[in-house]
Amino acid sequence: MSRPDLLDVSPLDAPLMEARDLVQTYQVRQGFLRRAELHAVRGVSFTLHAGETLAVVGESGCGKSTLARMLTLVEPPSSGELSVDGRDAASPDRQTLTALRRDVQMVFQNPYGSLNPRKRIGTILEEPLVINTSTPADERRRMARDMLARVGLRPEHYDRYPHMFSGGQRQRIAVARALMLRPRVLVLDEPVSALDVSVQAQVLNLLNDLQQEFGLAYLFISHDLSVVRHVADNVMVMYLGRPVEVGSREALFTTPRHPYTQALLSATPSVNPDERRDRIALSGELPSPLSPPPGCAFHRRCPHARPECADKRPELREIEGARVACHFAEEIMARPLTGAA
Amino acid sequence: MALLEIEQLSVAFDTDEGTFPAVSDLSLTLNEGEVLGIVGESGSGKSVTMLAMMGLLPFNARVEASRFHFAGQNMQTLSDRARRRLTGNDIAMIFQEPSTSLNPSFTIGFQLLEAIRAHEGGSRRQRRERAIELLDQVGIPAPAKRLSDYPHQLSGGMNQRVMIAMAIACNPRLLIADEPTTALDVTIQAQILDLLMRLQEERGMGMILITHDMGVVAGAARRVAVMYAGQLMETGASHDVFREPAHPYTGALLNALPERHPGTTRLPTIPGVVPGIGDRPQGCLFHPRCAHAQKDCRASRPSLEARHAETGLGTRHVRCYHPLNEEDLEIMS
Repeated sequence: MSRPDLLDVSPLDAPLMEARDLVQTYQVRQGFLRRAELHAVRGVSFTLHAGETLAVVGESGCGKSTLARMLTLVEPPSSGELSVDGRDAASPDRQTLTALRRDVQMVFQNPYGSLNPRKRIGTILEEPLVINTSTPADERRRMARDMLARVGLRPEHYDRYPHMFSGGQRQRIAVARALMLRPRVLVLDEPVSALDVSVQAQVLNLLNDLQQEFGLAYLFISHDLSVVRHVADNVMVMYLGRPVEVGSREALFTTPRHPYTQALLSATPSVNPDERRDRIALSGELPSPLSPPPGCAFHRRCPHARPECADKRPELREIEGARVACHFAEEIMARPLTGAA
Repeated sequence: MALLEIEQLSVAFDTDEGTFPAVSDLSLTLNEGEVLGIVGESGSGKSVTMLAMMGLLPFNARVEASRFHFAGQNMQTLSDRARRRLTGNDIAMIFQEPSTSLNPSFTIGFQLLEAIRAHEGGSRRQRRERAIELLDQVGIPAPAKRLSDYPHQLSGGMNQRVMIAMAIACNPRLLIADEPTTALDVTIQAQILDLLMRLQEERGMGMILITHDMGVVAGAARRVAVMYAGQLMETGASHDVFREPAHPYTGALLNALPERHPGTTRLPTIPGVVPGIGDRPQGCLFHPRCAHAQKDCRASRPSLEARHAETGLGTRHVRCYHPLNEEDLEIMS
C-alpha cells in the first residue's frame, strides 16, 4: 500500500512485529470424555515493519482469525515466538501485556456488529482512552473530535448513535476507535468485505492515508485477492492453518508458485473480459482441521497431486524469492495449469 | 419467446416517515433460457424487484406495473391461489445465506421431501428417490446418507447446493438467484457458479442473477442490468457494458474496482451515498454524485433510452442525458 521511499523508515529498521513458528492448538470436546486437539494455526512466521502491509489470504477455516487473536494479544500462542517492537509478546508479564496491547489494535469485518448500538460515537471513541490511560475528560473529548475529522467524519457526529451512519461511515468509526491509542500495528480482519464497491474504495483510500501519516504497520486479512493486490506489500496464503506460500505482492501475483494460490487467483471473478482466465476448478471443500489429511493438506483437492503428496508434508522452502510449501513447485511454476475442466 | 415481461414496475413502501419509492419505472424482459445479471449496490432495489415478482413483499408495499406477464399469463389479473401455483411451480428462488434459509430444526431430507411432496406428489419411495437424484445432480457426495443430516452438519457451500436442489425440484422455468455466492469462499463460489450455469444450460431455465459483484455477472450473464436507487440505469450485453459503460454510474462503479488500478495507491471513488428516504434528489437520481452532471440533469429525470443499434444480444439502454463518450472512457482508463 505504501512505498518505502515515501516514508522516513529504512527497511533496515528493526521490525515492528515479528513472529516465529506461531502455533495455536485448542482442546475440543468430542462427546463425553473424548477430547481432541485442534491445530488452528501452525508454523506461521513473518516480520512486519512500520509502514508495511502484510496480507493474509485464505478461505474460512484456514486460521486467519485465530492468527488475528494471537497477534492482538487476546490469546497467547500455544508455542512459538512473538515480539512487538522488540519486546516479547508470546508470554509477557501483566505490565508488558497492558503496554503491548496499546500498540496493536484491531478493526473487524462487520461494522454493524462491532459498534455498541447503545453508545454514542464519542463514548465509543473515548472508551479505549478511559480504560488504558488517565487522560482527563476534556482532553479525551478533543482527541475524539480530532480523530473524527481525521477519518473523514464531522465533529458534530460525536453525539450521534451508530444506527445513524451508513456501513462505510461505521467502518470509519471503527478505524477511528482503533487509532485512539496511537497504535503501531493495526490488525484488519476483512475490513472492506461488508462494504459496497464505491464505499470500499473510500475506506481503502482512508487506510492508505492513515498508514502514511502515522507510519502504521497493517496486517490485512482478506479473502478478496483484487483488494489484496491493491493494498499489500507482502502476502501470506494460508491453507488449513499453515502458510503455503509467502512472498512479495509482485512475486505472488505474477508467478504464483503454489497450486492453491493459482486456484485462488483463477477463481477470483474479473470484469475484464481480456483478463478472464480459465478457471482452475478445485473439487471438494476444505478438510476438517480436526482430521487433516496426511501429507500435504491440499493434496486431495490439488490438480497436480501425486502419490508422494499423501505421504510427506512439504515444508516452506525458498524458490526464487518466495517461500512455498509444495514438493513440485518448480515444475508447476514452469507450466502453470490452465482450466482443468 | 419472452418468459417474463415487466413494464413500468414500481414498488413503494408506506412507512412512518412517508412513502419510500424502492423501485420506480422498471421495465425488463427475459427470454426462455436466458441469463440476466442485475447489479447494484445495497439499497438499489434489486432484491425488492424480485420479491415483488414473487409476491413476497410485506403488506405495507404497494406494487404497480403497467404490464406484468410471466409465461404468457397476466400475473396482475390472476387470483392469489392461481398465482401462488404458478410462482411455486415455475419460479424458484435461492438466497444469499443458505444457513439461514434452511430450517435448523429439520433434516435436509425432510425439507427437500416437503418441497417435492407439495409440488410433485408420488409415493413415499418415489419422493425419496427423487430427493436422492436431486442431491446427486447438485454434486453432493453420498446423497442417500446426507438426507438425514441437519443443516449445521454441512458446510455453507453444501447447504447452498441443498437450496439449489430444492429450487430445481419442481423444474422451474425461471430461477432467481439473489446473491447466491456472496457468503461463500472464493473457490466454493466458483464451484456453485459453475453448478448454476450447468443446470441452467441443461434445463434451459431462464435465470436472473442478482449480485453486487460485477466480476460474477461478467463471467455468468450475457446480458446485464445496472440498478441505482430503484431505477435501471443501463442495460445491455454484459461484455459491452463492462467494456464501454455508457452511464456515468456504471463507469464510476467499474472505476472504483481495485482490479482496474494495479500499482496505484489511491482508488477513484464515488462521493456521497445512495439517496435514502429523505434526500431523493430532483432530476436524475445520480446527479449529486455524478462527475458529468449538468443543468438539465438537475432539472428533470431522464428516461431509459435505446442508445446503440440493435445487436444480437439486445439493445443498449441508458438513462442519462450525457452518456459517457470515448473521451471520458479514455480518461478513466
